[in-house]
Amino acid sequence: MKKLIQFKNIVKNFDDTLVLKGINLDIYENEFVTLLGPSGCGKTTLLRILGGFLEQDEGSIVFDNEEISKLPSYKRELNTVFQKYALFPHMNIYDNVAFGLKIKKMSDDVIRQKVTRMLKLVSLEGYEERNVDQLSGGQQQRIAIARALVNEPKVLLLDEPLGALDLKLRKEMQLELKKIQQEVGITFIYVTHDQEEALTMSDKIVVMRDGEIQQVGSPTDIYNEPENEYVANFIGDSNIIDGIMKEDYLVAFDEHNYECVDFGFKKNEDVDIVIRPEDIDIVKKGKGKLNGKVLSVLFKGVHNEIIVETSRGSHVDVTLTVYEKKPIYNEEAGEYISANNFYLDIQDLEELNDDDIIARADAQAWDAESEDYLSIANIEYDIKAEAGTYPVTFSTSKGTKIQVDIFVVKQKYVTDEKKRIGIAAFDFFTTLDEIQESQALDTDLRTWADAVSWNLDTDEDIEVRNVDYDFDVDELTPGKYIVSFSTIGREFKIHTTRNATVDTHVGIDFDPEDIHVMEKMGF
Amino acid sequence: MKSYKKLIQPYVIWISIFLVVPMLLILLYAFTSQGNDVMTFHFTFENFIRFFQDNVFLGVLIDSFRIALITTVICILIGYPAAYLISKMNVKHNGFFILLITLPMWINMLVRTYAWIGILNDNGVINNILSFFGVGKVHMIHTEFAVILGMVYNFLPFMILQIHSSLAKLDKSLLEASSDLGATPFETFKKVIFPLSLPGVISGITLVFLPAVSSFFIPKLLGGGQLLIGNLIENYFVSTGDWNFGSAISLIMALLIMVSMYLTKRLDKNGGDS
Repeated sequence: MKKLIQFKNIVKNFDDTLVLKGINLDIYENEFVTLLGPSGCGKTTLLRILGGFLEQDEGSIVFDNEEISKLPSYKRELNTVFQKYALFPHMNIYDNVAFGLKIKKMSDDVIRQKVTRMLKLVSLEGYEERNVDQLSGGQQQRIAIARALVNEPKVLLLDEPLGALDLKLRKEMQLELKKIQQEVGITFIYVTHDQEEALTMSDKIVVMRDGEIQQVGSPTDIYNEPENEYVANFIGDSNIIDGIMKEDYLVAFDEHNYECVDFGFKKNEDVDIVIRPEDIDIVKKGKGKLNGKVLSVLFKGVHNEIIVETSRGSHVDVTLTVYEKKPIYNEEAGEYISANNFYLDIQDLEELNDDDIIARADAQAWDAESEDYLSIANIEYDIKAEAGTYPVTFSTSKGTKIQVDIFVVKQKYVTDEKKRIGIAAFDFFTTLDEIQESQALDTDLRTWADAVSWNLDTDEDIEVRNVDYDFDVDELTPGKYIVSFSTIGREFKIHTTRNATVDTHVGIDFDPEDIHVMEKMGF
Repeated sequence: MKSYKKLIQPYVIWISIFLVVPMLLILLYAFTSQGNDVMTFHFTFENFIRFFQDNVFLGVLIDSFRIALITTVICILIGYPAAYLISKMNVKHNGFFILLITLPMWINMLVRTYAWIGILNDNGVINNILSFFGVGKVHMIHTEFAVILGMVYNFLPFMILQIHSSLAKLDKSLLEASSDLGATPFETFKKVIFPLSLPGVISGITLVFLPAVSSFFIPKLLGGGQLLIGNLIENYFVSTGDWNFGSAISLIMALLIMVSMYLTKRLDKNGGDS
């Protein structure tokens, strides 16, 4: 095959942001090439530079052995299908498709012939006299393709042409586009952020990110042998695991060695390991390579998506004291008052003021008849800067009083030196009502216990993913309970037609050739 | 929503009293002869016969349409390029130019027209400058030129703003598509930009032609003795006190304007289709 287009070190800036960081890419004749990446990766910019609607700051484009960087768009032998079709609203379908041919001053007979043939190709014969706004999105899309193809360009550029269509129509158009490309036999350069679309249609996929090309290859190459974590993540679902390449054909993660088919890495090199969800099997506990607990099962139509946790993340246990809130009634004054015991971090002691104490004890007073809230007029307490239990008394101006305890405690704090993770939380009090009325109990428990996790080296926050507790919300009675917070452990996403029950223990299995080892991405 | 509909009622009453009723009165006056009282009306076509039999009146009518037409054409010729250039600028600058164009409209039209008297006068600003350079005096005030100048000056912003708003609405991807299909910038203008900006031009024509054809103070102040249809109507209402004949002229005028607007609308539709 012949090289048709060569991008040579294309650089583009927009307002001092580098959008393209030196793109080098060859495109061959009759290829269906897809530029794939998330929005903002520069794929559309690259296409627009090729179309002649933008000028690159550096680098050159060679088209058919000719440097075309300085050529205006109307002199380039390629045509574009725009994202929003850009059909001319003041012309009918025939005139839209004939536009390019009329510009070239072809004879009317030839134009009519070509337009008719092209409308046939996109299955819209007989629509010549219609107006643009009488067509559906899918039909407008096909007219836009016809309008571009009728000029017999060497290359057709398509800028997310299916983005505005609904799912079913999009699938149909994907097949149709591929069919048209094979029929007319020209190069298609297709821009999309939809990885499935890219895998379906392309001969070659160019995965882009932040203005750089990550990988160029056939759909199967890109899917099966992603070059790095980014590509593996972007193309399909993946389990991506930090590992160490012990030696050729032997990789280790989570303190176990696994056979694999990859080689050529340095000894003990840090690597990323990809295991595709559909390559993993669910087996009986003890029968697979790893054992774990089923976290969730989602039915996805053809298969189940099962998440299995094979090792637990860093965790911390705290004590939850559940009590029933009973306000104190002062008959003389006709007032109610209520407050909670609460735990207090010894480090917060210095900054503690009366308002804080009222808020944390949730101290409230109200008139028995009107139910209007009354202000807490007086607070008496004596707290020393050491762990212990200290009484505090709240009272209203009419002398309605309640006494509760402040427990000054140290934060519970666990560090995992190996994973470099710290996790911390507080013992806490809460009322029965609050737990039973909670809309999102896990989130509320995290908030009440102030559960946090962080990276020991960088101090960055880490998500406190799992919240476990040893009570049943519906049958909760006042008392002490254990709440356990943990970070995300080693989770495997598995696509299988088998079923599993949440919270049961299973084994998971995979073959050496299902392990794909990649070099770590350098940042 | 239903209860909000009632809010329109004061407006309807206002419009009825101050717009619909006077118009009906014009209709009534136009078809009656002078000297009616509340109880008796003498219906007659005499006012219309008088207008169409007198060549002076017809001459004034033709003059009015001619001058309005010239004004409109000049406004398009100046306004289109101006609007096009503004729409080509980036957003930061075009706001400034739009401001420049609308700025004179902050001052009363009458005041601005008086200013032109000072500029065009035989002893005015222009003639002073000309005589400074040794060129003789040019008589400008009280000519048709002055009237047209005054009208173009006053009505040009309406044309520019209308055309600009239709050009600004134009989807830029259509221009890219046109260029992509091989059209040079000129061909793109001819085949895409201009046809798509026609609605703006048409509404610009409406906004310029209408006030120009019925304007009476611009010809009065800048045209001196020149009578246009607006002045005629004004004379019959204010000076002569012949409300019946004045109403008849107004009605004739209104009908002619309606016909010409209908024709422009047709032009717009045909232009859009082809």
